[in-house]
Amino acid sequence: MALIDVVSLSKAFGQKVVLSNVNLQVQEGESLVVLGGSGTGKTVLLRTIMGLLTPDSGHVAIEGKIIAQLNRKELFEVRQSIGMCFQMAALFDSMTVFENVAFGLRRHLEITEAEVQTRVEECLSMVGMKGTDKLKPAELSGGMKRRVGFARAIALKPKILLFDEPTTGLDPVMTDVIGRVILDLKQELGVTTITITHDLKSAFEIADRIALLFHGEVIACETPAEFKVNPHPVIQQFLRGDAEGPFLEDPPPPKHRTQEAHP
Amino acid sequence: MVLTLIDSIGTRVLGAIELAGDFAVLAGRTFAAIFKRPFDGKNLMNQFQAVGVNSIPVVVLTSLAVSMVFAVQLAFGFRQFQAEGLASQVEGLAIVRELGPVITGLMLSGRIGSAMAAELGTMQVTEQIDALECLATDPIHYLFVPRLLAAIVVVPLLTVASIYVGFWGGYLILVGVEGQSAFVYSSEFYKLLAFRDVRIALIKALVFGMIIALVGCWKGYRTSGGAEGVGNAPTSSVVTSSLWILISDFFLTKLLLV
Repeated sequence: MALIDVVSLSKAFGQKVVLSNVNLQVQEGESLVVLGGSGTGKTVLLRTIMGLLTPDSGHVAIEGKIIAQLNRKELFEVRQSIGMCFQMAALFDSMTVFENVAFGLRRHLEITEAEVQTRVEECLSMVGMKGTDKLKPAELSGGMKRRVGFARAIALKPKILLFDEPTTGLDPVMTDVIGRVILDLKQELGVTTITITHDLKSAFEIADRIALLFHGEVIACETPAEFKVNPHPVIQQFLRGDAEGPFLEDPPPPKHRTQEAHP
Repeated sequence: MVLTLIDSIGTRVLGAIELAGDFAVLAGRTFAAIFKRPFDGKNLMNQFQAVGVNSIPVVVLTSLAVSMVFAVQLAFGFRQFQAEGLASQVEGLAIVRELGPVITGLMLSGRIGSAMAAELGTMQVTEQIDALECLATDPIHYLFVPRLLAAIVVVPLLTVASIYVGFWGGYLILVGVEGQSAFVYSSEFYKLLAFRDVRIALIKALVFGMIIALVGCWKGYRTSGGAEGVGNAPTSSVVTSSLWILISDFFLTKLLLV
């Protein structure tokens, strides 16, 4: 049985269909990367897996438990086994880095403050953020916020980690740092991960399988090697990063001519 | 034309019912979550600080100003009938029954209700409320309950403070400026009042506290649309809670004075 089972999932907002009959299975310990253009429903997929959104049809099951059928108590129990890393980190800005990472520990585990301290330091050092525990989120850069968000997500030792565009808006060096942190977390913790990203370099490093969402449907879900040679024109256009092709609904503007012939 | 009008009225009525239903459900969930574990004492104390201690100056200053103005008006009015002695009695009646709780309620809806809406609204648009959900924490229990508890304890206490300050505001004008006897003022202030009036004032303050906290949290929690939404939430919260404070004041007065 797959750890995460997405079955015939559809979700629309008004007339706009965001996900249409999506099927995905993620096995325990596996790392799935979901690629796709902006607005193709990648974040909606993660939010539905977390139970933040209710599907219009189909379902998401975690360890066989159908998320939409759980009551609040059961849902919270399932959520304790999932760590969610938000696109913009979503750190509690009234709290310090330490309090952010300690939040779940203090609320859900009956452990001493010394044990909380040890676990927070452990989580912060895993993401390369040791020594920042007294800082407020406003004092951190974008990349640092994401890493503190990772530390908060792993604090309760979840079985599943979900990353929502962890590298968007970061410089190439920080993008690589975040990619390495995700890879380290995957190897050290042995967790099952779903990562949404636009960064192909880290996607190929992290992924055991890569899925591509196009017009709300999964058009491929295969190993990185298979994905690279998949002849589907949308996949090849996405890999090339070219504006010309079937990927965009509206045709792109013509390329500007840089060298005009002078009479 | 007529059909369009009916359609428009129907849409508005349905929208209003939907809003009222949403508020009622969230309010019900808040009351149901009061006794749920875990109990977060630190969070509650922070709210007592934000809602209570930090509101003392604004309540003291407003009560002082309103009671002084009211005393000036009463002294002037009763002087027309050579009945200056009644001014302190009416001052006492007005401050304890109406001005204390209502002025405190309105000022706190502006100070703490708007702050709650802005804080929760910002948390909503920056996904912090989703982060709470993902950390298996009920936002209603973590955000609404401490604010509600702080408001229903603090608003009555600040109303008592407002009444006390109102007494001294009237004293400053009627004794200090109008030259009435301090002894007569002190005894006349309470002459028309009974213990029931203090009880009514406290019940009103309790209801106003609930309105302020629940409306502030509700408006913040339902914020959408980025910076514009966060900007609208406090305004909407203050207008809605002020309106409900004034409406509920009428019904509470009618009910409790019987």
